[in-house]
Amino acid sequence: MQEPLVSFEGVAKRFGSYTAVQKMDLQIHKGEFLAIMGSSGCGKTTTLRMLAGLEAPSEGIIRLAGRPINDLPSWSRDTPMVWQSLALFPFLNVIENVEFALKMRGIGRAERRRRAEQWLDRMQIAEFASRNIGQLSGGQRQRVALARSLVVEPDILLLDEPLSALDAALKVRMQSVLKNLQRETGITFVYVTHSQSEAFSMADRVVIMSRGKIEQIGTPQEIYRTPRTRFVADFLGSSNIFPGQLQQDRSGRAAIATASGHFLLAEDAAASAMPGQSASLTVLDTRMQIHLQPPADAVNMVEARMIGEEFVGATATIYFETGAGQEIRVQKSHEELADLPLAVGRSFHLSWLPADGHLVPE
Amino acid sequence: MRRHISLYGLTFSLPLLIWQLLFFVFPLVFLVALSFWTVRNFRMEPGFDTVNWVTMYGRPVFWQAYGTTLALAAAAAALTSALAFPCAYAIAFKLSPAARRWAIFLMVIPFFTSYLVRVYSWQVFLSDAGIINVMLGWLGLGPFRLLNTVGATMVGYLTLSFPLVVLLQLFSLVFIDRTLIEAAHNMRCGRLRTVFAVVIPSARVGLVIAALFSFILCFGDFVSPIYLGGGDPTTLSILITDTTKSGQQWPRAAVIALTMIATLLVVAFLSVRFAYKGRAQ
Repeated sequence: MQEPLVSFEGVAKRFGSYTAVQKMDLQIHKGEFLAIMGSSGCGKTTTLRMLAGLEAPSEGIIRLAGRPINDLPSWSRDTPMVWQSLALFPFLNVIENVEFALKMRGIGRAERRRRAEQWLDRMQIAEFASRNIGQLSGGQRQRVALARSLVVEPDILLLDEPLSALDAALKVRMQSVLKNLQRETGITFVYVTHSQSEAFSMADRVVIMSRGKIEQIGTPQEIYRTPRTRFVADFLGSSNIFPGQLQQDRSGRAAIATASGHFLLAEDAAASAMPGQSASLTVLDTRMQIHLQPPADAVNMVEARMIGEEFVGATATIYFETGAGQEIRVQKSHEELADLPLAVGRSFHLSWLPADGHLVPE
Repeated sequence: MRRHISLYGLTFSLPLLIWQLLFFVFPLVFLVALSFWTVRNFRMEPGFDTVNWVTMYGRPVFWQAYGTTLALAAAAAALTSALAFPCAYAIAFKLSPAARRWAIFLMVIPFFTSYLVRVYSWQVFLSDAGIINVMLGWLGLGPFRLLNTVGATMVGYLTLSFPLVVLLQLFSLVFIDRTLIEAAHNMRCGRLRTVFAVVIPSARVGLVIAALFSFILCFGDFVSPIYLGGGDPTTLSILITDTTKSGQQWPRAAVIALTMIATLLVVAFLSVRFAYKGRAQ
């Protein structure tokens, strides 16, 4: 396999007694769109800043194209970054902002102007070239910040929550701008965000971090379908989580005993299950079935009372509560729900296939 | 309701308004009027005569002093700004917040003592038998003439405006968005280059205002040019005292004072315009 563009080898970062990033191993491949996601304080921004040379790792080695860059000052690296605040220079106009990095590289005036204009054109902001930064809208500033970082045609671009200040509609539009840019240029994007929708809609691979540790790395699909830790399942919020204990049922099949009942596990999950161990069963909210009468062939089933519903576009989320007080969410399209007499307070039977259940360690 | 609020506001602004009228506007108007009075037999006579303006503006001595004062004040503003900047920069960017508070405190201390006292103590250092010449004597050097020179005047000007300039520069540096500096580093702009490419442009308004204050203070200062500079070359402030002493020429002194006020107004206006140039909003 090809050598990774960036590799973190046992990298840790401490601020005094506070550990921002714990021994991290991470490889970033050339040309990929990698999102680092987590809630605030999880170490995602620190990770990015270490890569840009704005923080020095307390431990471990960071390599860029195979070369250790720990001791390389920020201004000797080619790791342009787009800040959350954008950090555009208010004392320079639009095109001067874009030219800045080229000027620092000693590129001549005419060449600088030509390349900056090219990028302004590409970002569709050529008409604002001589405007002040203060005269631009949020979306336009975003484009200036991108042009300013990309004008040097780097191998890698770091983005620190660049869209968080934009309104929802503009955010979606900028997401497609970013994704297209990344695809067209082939530049590796490392994108830090707390937004699941941003990470999952743009990234090829997502890194989920919590309290300075990587919880899971995978494609959006993988992570969404099979969260590997309890934290990830909780964080994504798309799975129902049944904490319990692993055991074998009477016929020798692996099962999990939870407060809401005993549930059978899929074959592959059963292989690694040790009876007696604590674990949680996760089932995606889209993989649950709702029945009025208990179906005869259902393997995993639980009775639950409906406690609420929520409509977002074409899908509805129905909330249930089991006798043991566990909340269960089920997501369905309106057509799938058409025949069910949904009413808050009424009891239903919820079922799922063993193959749709995944085990996560406790 | 509306009336009530305006009355409320007036109670607080009225004393200040009266103060300004009494001690700024009236004296200024009086100064203008005074400049048209005449002096006969060492006695002032109210009137309207342009003779003072014609006389003063017709004297090469006046223009010489004007040029000297302008040049000295400009040089002091430039020198003070240049010397203060590394100091303010270090306090703003290199010190911890706690150490920064101490540094600010130390910068305020000079204001506790009289400027005149500080200038007199410079005499102790700079005179022919002063501390500096004695120490140079130990090395077999000197004595040098340090007191009653333009250099000594400059030292006085620095004493007068340095702490204020450092504080003003510091407050503009502290509020620079640190991500702008990181962004510059991120775009291959080294440390020293970042100072000129990002820090100074970001703090421009504060730096210009600091230099302006230094200019204003030094332009009107009487103490340093007379006690450290020995009155040579003559500055406008010295010229004013000379004029009033020689034959009660208060009207002519008023001409000098008004010329100084007009000059400061123009300089202040131009500096502020330069400071905000190219800044929308």
